[in-house]
Amino acid sequence: MNLRIEEIGDVSCVVPAGRLDFDAAPGFQQALERLLGGAGKPLAAVIVDGTALEYVSSAGLRAFLLAARAAQRSGVAFALCALQPAVREVFELSGFSRIIPVHADRASALAQTQPGRA
Amino acid sequence: MAVALDAAQLSTFELALEEIFMNIVMHGSRPGIAPRVEVSLHRDAESITMTVEDDGPAFDPLSLPPPDVTASLADRRVGGLGVFLVRKMMDSVSYERIAGRNQLRMSKRLDG
Repeated sequence: MNLRIEEIGDVSCVVPAGRLDFDAAPGFQQALERLLGGAGKPLAAVIVDGTALEYVSSAGLRAFLLAARAAQRSGVAFALCALQPAVREVFELSGFSRIIPVHADRASALAQTQPGRA
Repeated sequence: MAVALDAAQLSTFELALEEIFMNIVMHGSRPGIAPRVEVSLHRDAESITMTVEDDGPAFDPLSLPPPDVTASLADRRVGGLGVFLVRKMMDSVSYERIAGRNQLRMSKRLDG
């Protein structure tokens, strides 16, 4: 799995590409926790853009769960957007779409994680 | 015989295989001993069936309690989630212990 991080003001958009499986999940989790650990500038939100994310297993869900908790501890908004149908199905069946906000696309994720600036 | 799957079916079976295989590795391995795992796919007129067999200790993944999918972010657990997803995505899942082997059969209807 490849990971690209785009900075949009004080929002980090994380764009994973490929498969978030048992093999890839620990690296993904570490990347998100590094981002949320806040060595850099203050962060308002982390948005994971699922445009190129093809597959998520329970190991990937675990990484999202731990990242969402780390975000909550750091007072950073955490949301997903633009999930492909197979990935969205996994989020819905697991109930994760109830505990992590999932937006249709990046624009609505940006608008809703920073309502003051929309 | 090769079995052709469309994208949605492939995604379902890939997920099932990863979840069940990792369960076997985690529940069935002992120091120095790894279970031997065999996977087969069968397609008939109505459905596709994947069978995963291993020679590890008896373990019925269907006996795992289902996760509480309504729990809050703080209380949410991940244990049991893989098998839960498999049961949700497949039309039928059954477990048998046969001749010292665990056998899990997972079927999905072709029209679903």
